[in-house]
Amino acid sequence: MYGWLWRRLPGGPGARLVQLVLLLVVVGVLLWFVVYPWASLHLPVDPSGLG
Amino acid sequence: MGRFFRIVGELLITCGLVVFGFLAYMYWGTALRANSAQQTYTSELTKQWAAANPLTALAELRTIPAGTPFALLRIPQFGQAWQLAVVQGTGVSQLLLAPGHVPGTALPGRVGNFAVAAHRVTAGNPFWGLPSLRKGSMINVETITGTYEYTVTSGPTRVSAGDLSALAAVPFHPGEQPTQRLITLITCDPPWTGTSRVVVTGVLLRTLPRAPGS
Repeated sequence: MYGWLWRRLPGGPGARLVQLVLLLVVVGVLLWFVVYPWASLHLPVDPSGLG
Repeated sequence: MGRFFRIVGELLITCGLVVFGFLAYMYWGTALRANSAQQTYTSELTKQWAAANPLTALAELRTIPAGTPFALLRIPQFGQAWQLAVVQGTGVSQLLLAPGHVPGTALPGRVGNFAVAAHRVTAGNPFWGLPSLRKGSMINVETITGTYEYTVTSGPTRVSAGDLSALAAVPFHPGEQPTQRLITLITCDPPWTGTSRVVVTGVLLRTLPRAPGS
């Protein structure tokens, strides 16, 4: 999976590394600000709310 | 075959990291959001209280819109710095940022039961220490009208998640006419789950009215 991604990215090893890090940051930001807040509302973790 | 297992392995590791990220978000992410909301609420309240006349403001307290902060909760046993703004309502979106006043229950200092719910974990773990309160522990609530000092009379008591009788005007005796000025704090138990609730009840010990303009 990651090997496949590495081979698909254009440029030399340095450029590929930069792209991978950027991709990781984008995925991380998406998870932290969109996916996790959404999931936290729909999972029964500490459902202290009443009614 | 080896390639297949490598892909499956990479997928599993990725899923694991995503789940760890979620735990980190629940612990730190929600705390960051709650802390910044708390700072806003506290400064809003302080400004509001300094400007308003406590006598005219009494009427405003009766109809607080959901999500609006109106009180500061202090529990000296949790440390002098421990202070949280309480908002109206106990929906998911309110408890995300602050402890919530259960709508329909009494206001601070009034006859009846001032009930407040908050998260045990996440959102900065507001009621993490609730089960450590004992008979005699102080719970102080400041509103625009003054400071209400309650002392714990019973609890911590564990009740099932669906049992809301602790929030009645006379705790655990729904339907009875209240004569005392009580407070009830409620949160989840055991931590992280919704299996049960833990409840602490207190009675008003004394009232320190706010002098106009203070």
